[in-house]
Amino acid sequence: MKRRDFIRTSVTASVVTGTLFSMGKWTPLMASGNGDASKPFLVAVKNGDAISMLKAGMDKLGGMKAFIKAGQTVVIKPNIGWDAGPERAANTNPELVGQLVKMCLEAGASKVSVFDNTCDEWTRCYKNSGIEQAVKDQGGVVVSGKDEGMYREVSIPKGIKLKKAKVHELILDSDVFINVPVIKNHGGATMSLSMKNLMGVVWDRGFWHRTDLHQCIADFASYCKPDLTIIDGYRAMMRNGPRGVSVADVAMMKYQLISSDMVAADTAATKVFGIETEQVKHIALAEKLGVGTTNLDAIKPIRVALP
Amino acid sequence: MKNQKWLRPLRILIGLVFFSGFMIIFSDVRATLPPGMYNFFTSFQFLPSGLKLFTAHTLISIVFIGLVLITLFGGRIYCSVFCPLGIMQDILAHFNFFRLPFKKQRRKFKKALNYIRYPILGAFILTWISLGIVAVSWLDPYANFGRIASSIYQPLFVFLNNGLSDFLSEANSGSLEGIHTVSIWLHPVTLLAASGMFLLILVLVIYQDRLYCNTVCPVGTFLGLLSKVSLFKIRIQNTACTQCGKCQLACKANCINIKEMTIDETRCVSCYNCISSCQDDAVGYRLARVKPAPVEATRASKRAFIKSGLLYLAAVPLIAKADDSYRSDEADEHASEEKQLKYKDRGPISPPGSRGIKELKEHCIGCQLCVSACPTKVLQPAFLEYGFTGMMFPRMDNEVGFCNFECKQCGDVCPTGAILSLTKEAKKKVQIGIAQFMERYCIVKTNGTACGACDEHCPTNAIEMVPSVYGPNIPKVDPEICTGCGACEYACPVEVPHPAIFVAPSKVHGTSKKFVQEQVKWDENVEEDGWAF
Repeated sequence: MKRRDFIRTSVTASVVTGTLFSMGKWTPLMASGNGDASKPFLVAVKNGDAISMLKAGMDKLGGMKAFIKAGQTVVIKPNIGWDAGPERAANTNPELVGQLVKMCLEAGASKVSVFDNTCDEWTRCYKNSGIEQAVKDQGGVVVSGKDEGMYREVSIPKGIKLKKAKVHELILDSDVFINVPVIKNHGGATMSLSMKNLMGVVWDRGFWHRTDLHQCIADFASYCKPDLTIIDGYRAMMRNGPRGVSVADVAMMKYQLISSDMVAADTAATKVFGIETEQVKHIALAEKLGVGTTNLDAIKPIRVALP
Repeated sequence: MKNQKWLRPLRILIGLVFFSGFMIIFSDVRATLPPGMYNFFTSFQFLPSGLKLFTAHTLISIVFIGLVLITLFGGRIYCSVFCPLGIMQDILAHFNFFRLPFKKQRRKFKKALNYIRYPILGAFILTWISLGIVAVSWLDPYANFGRIASSIYQPLFVFLNNGLSDFLSEANSGSLEGIHTVSIWLHPVTLLAASGMFLLILVLVIYQDRLYCNTVCPVGTFLGLLSKVSLFKIRIQNTACTQCGKCQLACKANCINIKEMTIDETRCVSCYNCISSCQDDAVGYRLARVKPAPVEATRASKRAFIKSGLLYLAAVPLIAKADDSYRSDEADEHASEEKQLKYKDRGPISPPGSRGIKELKEHCIGCQLCVSACPTKVLQPAFLEYGFTGMMFPRMDNEVGFCNFECKQCGDVCPTGAILSLTKEAKKKVQIGIAQFMERYCIVKTNGTACGACDEHCPTNAIEMVPSVYGPNIPKVDPEICTGCGACEYACPVEVPHPAIFVAPSKVHGTSKKFVQEQVKWDENVEEDGWAF
């Protein structure tokens, strides 16, 4: 026994909450909300601010009502990993998250929750990213991603290296799941996009890093498919990611990619960013697992350039 | 002596304000209270405030001078209104929480236990001069209260908090204003020290109320000596007193001798119970007449003082020797910079603002306030990492967390200035250690797969992912930029034998260079249609 095991005992009185209830309400491969899963889509919007791009993009898809029925619960998963302000692009743009909450509630959602399993201390991340305030202003709620009692273990049938993971109950229990990553360079995963963003809904990230990061990202994407993925490319972190050092790492891209297909969305993002898609290995690995397609022509992207 | 009955309610009021204040700051497990609130309450703590006078040179240390003046004005007022350990004893005695089988003694006059209290004070001062602050940290009343509050009270608070949090999440409300599950760590060292002291105090309270303050507490004894020359003293007016004995029954310090109608001001904690209890208005503050102390008493206390000094001097070599391990470490401070340190031998990392291990050990009293206020919980009390003379002092434990780059809470709340309050920019440059990368344990080498967890977490870009022969990029550390925050070590997924990257402590803190790069450029690589795809 190591000495520190002896001299320290963790005191955490978190009790397993809610595990007895609402099991298996959400079936992974059918979690396409109310959209038509058989028809993948990709909308690319550029040259606007986060809010106007979201409005323009969602208009092309028939509005938020196409994805949310009245009374449904919604979970939004932005990147809130870091104790940094919006200008640093380390986290998703708070304006975008706030607008999303607003549109979900307008579409009739009964409750909109926002969370991330952050890297820096979570209350500081929520606060300093501006996301907490933006969400509250629009009537959504922010939920802790740092309470292990809120995670439940699931198995990943298609996983090659990642066979099971502990997933946040909001992802498992909400009716609609919206994934809102931000475009970032990443030291380990090459790029942090929509599939990489899903690392923030699981409890133990260390296993992914330890085992095979790219494969685990792809494996998890085969299990967890958001109803809607909205990649925030208003500001993008071009280097030193995913945390970044200063605003010098950030470019004003003024892009937004809205898709039902994470593989397609991530492929498009690499092209906008200016990197070969193959360099981001988990994209091809996920395609192999049937998560989506890298063939953007097949998906017929809708392009909107705002004036 | 009329019109002094208001003193007792006032004493109770201020005492409760201070006690509640301390309970609130030790309940601030998420560090959401402004540091000013911490500073307000701790600045009234005698010893920490005195220490801060020398470390931080801040305006708030004027309070220390005020405390001395108050004592010279009206005796040990400090012990009843500002000292949380003293107020805690009053509360324990008042509510009589712990009814033990033996019956509480009827209060009566007791002689002062000079042969205990003066040796303790003497040893306290001599140890401080020769060995450093170690004895101070064990005996200071505020430090002891801090340990009791953080090791006994706080876990109970967190337990209730988490229970409530679970209840609320069942009830389906989970906003940030709500209550959230918190994890804290219990350390046997602080828990033992706190429990031991708490039990001792409890037994003494049950036996004789403020006996602890008048025998063990060095600050109490010191203020008692100051009280000898205070301007106003509580006295019994011979002409008005009927010797009913009510004041003696009310006295928590057992220092009223009703037969002789005297009050021992060195033990009186200024609780004013006597003043309120007197129906003849015979007890109260009076301007003290300068009167030479009885010769015999002075001699006795001097003798005790000298005896304690000798006893102590005999013990010093033993303790000093026991702590040699730390001292010899310091000698080869520079010799070890070149070679790689072993993970288990690397020694403790001291928090940013403490300037280094030596400085920390000169000024810390181990009150655990920084540990309690640290939002990431990376600050943990040391066991023997700093040596015997550094037990319970804060150290960075990167297994628990890592230092948040933007945070400087520990320095902002430290009551003694052992951790200085730095500006944010200065804090971000303090180098408390340097990350050391051991390639042979890295995932990229052992597994041949991409990882980058350390690079991901590094706030300063001291870690760069560079091409490697193993396939994926591998980390490379720039020691000049590294601050030693421990984020890389915490994030490193390697568990056996230890993280592949870990912080080698700087015994004397350095300054890291700021990483500066030119503004990045991005141009969309568009095709004819104006789109990238």
